[in-house]
Amino acid sequence: MLSRPAIIAVGRTKFGEHYEKEPEKLIEEAWLKSSEEARIERKDLEACYLSDYFLPITNKLGLEEGFLSELTELHVPMEVTRSFGSALLNGCNAIQAGRYSVVLVGGLEKMTDRWDKIRDDLMLLEDPWSYYAGCTPEANHELMLRAYIKKYGITGKDLEKLNLALAHISVKNHLHATKNEYAQYQRKITVEHVLKARKNARKPLGLYDFAPISDGATALILTNEEVARKFTDEPVYILGSSSATDYLTFSARESMTSFLVTEIAIKNALKMAGISLLDIQVAELYDQSTVMEMISLEDLGFCKRGKAWMSIYESCQDYKGYYRINGRKLSVNMNGGLKADGNPLGATGGAQIFEIFKQLRCEAGERQVENDEKVKYGCVLELEGFGTKGYVYILGRDLE
Amino acid sequence: MSSEPIERRVSYLGDRLRGRRCQICGKEYFEMKDYCGDCGRKSFGKMVDMDLFYEKGKLELCTFINEPTNKFTKLGSYIYGILSFHDGNIRIPGRLTDHIIKGNEEVDLSAFEGRNIVPRFRRRYSVGRRDVIPTISLTFTFADEYYLHQEYSTVKPNKEYDTPGIVGYGVYTSKFRIQERNIERSVPFIDEDAVTAAVEAGKLALIHSGVDSSLVGKIYVGSESNPYAVKPIASKVAQVLKLGEEDEDVQGVDAVDTGFACKAATSMFKDAASLVNYPKSNIQYAMVIGADNSQAAPRDSPGGELDLFVGYGGCAYIFGKHDVIAEIEGWYSCTSDTPDFWRRDGEPFPMHGGRFTGDPAYFKHVRKAAKKLMKRLNLQVVDVDYFVPHQPNVSFPVRIAKELGFKEEQYLPSLQIANFGNTYSGSSPMGLAAVLDIAKPDERILIVSYGSGAGSDAYSLIATNQMLDKRKHQKMTVKYQAENPFLEYVDYTTYRRLKLGM
Repeated sequence: MLSRPAIIAVGRTKFGEHYEKEPEKLIEEAWLKSSEEARIERKDLEACYLSDYFLPITNKLGLEEGFLSELTELHVPMEVTRSFGSALLNGCNAIQAGRYSVVLVGGLEKMTDRWDKIRDDLMLLEDPWSYYAGCTPEANHELMLRAYIKKYGITGKDLEKLNLALAHISVKNHLHATKNEYAQYQRKITVEHVLKARKNARKPLGLYDFAPISDGATALILTNEEVARKFTDEPVYILGSSSATDYLTFSARESMTSFLVTEIAIKNALKMAGISLLDIQVAELYDQSTVMEMISLEDLGFCKRGKAWMSIYESCQDYKGYYRINGRKLSVNMNGGLKADGNPLGATGGAQIFEIFKQLRCEAGERQVENDEKVKYGCVLELEGFGTKGYVYILGRDLE
Repeated sequence: MSSEPIERRVSYLGDRLRGRRCQICGKEYFEMKDYCGDCGRKSFGKMVDMDLFYEKGKLELCTFINEPTNKFTKLGSYIYGILSFHDGNIRIPGRLTDHIIKGNEEVDLSAFEGRNIVPRFRRRYSVGRRDVIPTISLTFTFADEYYLHQEYSTVKPNKEYDTPGIVGYGVYTSKFRIQERNIERSVPFIDEDAVTAAVEAGKLALIHSGVDSSLVGKIYVGSESNPYAVKPIASKVAQVLKLGEEDEDVQGVDAVDTGFACKAATSMFKDAASLVNYPKSNIQYAMVIGADNSQAAPRDSPGGELDLFVGYGGCAYIFGKHDVIAEIEGWYSCTSDTPDFWRRDGEPFPMHGGRFTGDPAYFKHVRKAAKKLMKRLNLQVVDVDYFVPHQPNVSFPVRIAKELGFKEEQYLPSLQIANFGNTYSGSSPMGLAAVLDIAKPDERILIVSYGSGAGSDAYSLIATNQMLDKRKHQKMTVKYQAENPFLEYVDYTTYRRLKLGM
């Protein structure tokens, strides 16, 4: 059996606009928080896996490894990937292969420095043909919603409910973020806000249906099981990790109402973890839009195809901190999700892992999921692009 | 899939909507795949080229874009969606063009979805003034509106003529109009220019003639509004319409832009006709296009008086000796150095010689060319069924027609200035097309163009009975475009904005 990689500490910055802070200050802050928590020194690190999407574009920083070396004064192997999920997978592979015993996984992004061009930059994550045809970062979400409505023949009162369910996702995520000191938007919004923004945009989805652009950094220390016990009594294990890849071109994919990468990744991650989906009580989903959160509930298998909006709608009539799906409770995006916690692309996945880590260690404070039983398993879904890549992590602790 | 720097240099993939089909399983790709994902290694060498350029598709899904990315901000709001072709076998992204969404308009997306669409060839997005202008056919309009879907099927010629003539033609103007002082003028959509009009006209001429595009050995494009000072329109037309035999990514065709103000195209009619008549040229067909996004300075600036007359459009004529619809009986051209209208290099708009553009310019040359040709062919006014003059404004063509002794029934059918404005290089060719749309076999047509600078070309054409058969292949007639129920009228500010382009 493969050894289980263990997360011994996590750290992050507040997400939002860090107008005055240089990128290295952000990643340094995240690293310091995690290293202090684990009482680990820089010199203990055997390798670093860093992720960012846009630093070469937004901050004209290429070869980020050298930048990280200068910052840490380390000369260990360092690799840069585009998403936190990807950096973490590299870390897990190295730990499991026995190559390293302690690695740093970090992510950072500074998007607001380039707010005037960032939406064009975001199109780099989609195929050029779509860009040439006038696609925007929001358009595919809207097309997916229309495809969904058509495929499942949702009309009349049901359609109204679906639209309200999506609005509730945003309201719920904003509510969660009020309890998250690191969140970009720590304020409540109402369904009326969401609906009004849609009306102003004259579109099915409005400002409050989409995650913002953000600056921020996240970091975690990953070790093997043996080393983990030296640093902490409460390591969180990565029980399942999996990724999958799909076509860049949305229109060329088989399905326009689901993300294949999520379906594949969750299946493999569950198998690896040896648990059932029903064992998961808390999940951090990649809600780049409210539509993505809804679709992801179906892709992961929590909800039946074409039905997620019903569970969301019903759960949010009198929201208690979780979705009630088929009689079970599932807490989703307790940190506020990408919508309210923020979405600094390369760091986002780190904030998702951060949240599940805290939830599993019962350190989430006011956000702590109160379930009938103690939270044993949590899962994280991170996507790259519009579902071009998908990473699923299943985290758990105290399995002995 | 594509890559931006490559697609900017080699844009014919997106221009032509090219792809490949696996001959083993029939799977289709919107890219030049060398193998099929399902069939694997055995499909190498079994992938055939296909393109969607002349196809009819369907709009599957769409959304409303009112906050475009930076390259599309000049478009304002538009509809973006996913199109399908071949019964859903292939799906591509697309932008609805020729559609203005007003500032507070409620957009009902379900009114668009499910409708048939036609791919359109347009500018892709805004670029800086120094950059190459990328084009694309990932734009579309609805097949049941202004621009109809027409199949392009090549027809094997069945008759060879002794004299060369016109074997097919196409006229394209946009669906937008401005209406002022009792005349309507065509206005390009913001992603249109002389290049896109030339391609559209050429496409319609191929459809009308049934000529196999690979047999077109030469293409001339006359224009005075090429968005480039250096870079031909003709090369784009040749590449997009696949003129001449295709060999890898090169077209076996001679392509050249010509210039002589508004007679840049008509001047080449005789060259095209002569070329196809020369036994050793090995050229069966030659295409001549006149296309302009006619330029004019804003009304309060020098040269702004032209702003009341300029239109937009293109006309394409294919010349050959097979299945001719109008034989060329003879021609006469004259030239003098007359500075009545000019545009200096680097200047955006032309200048105009005011009252000197009449008697010493237009009238002198049109009169001379018409009279000389009629004398040479020994023609009387009664021998001519239709007279087609160049049409820079409403009064000039009528005055010259009357002066030459023509009656209303001889010259009125050709007058299109009040429908489309002055389409510059496309002006008299547009009049000719209007006449060819309705002429009967054996009728004689006298066309006299005029180009500032100055000169005129006069041609005498005689219609054949093959024109009746070919008419069935052209639904986009001049009348159809002039009296179309889907025309959209814009105000002066919108007209200037659209004309300036993206």
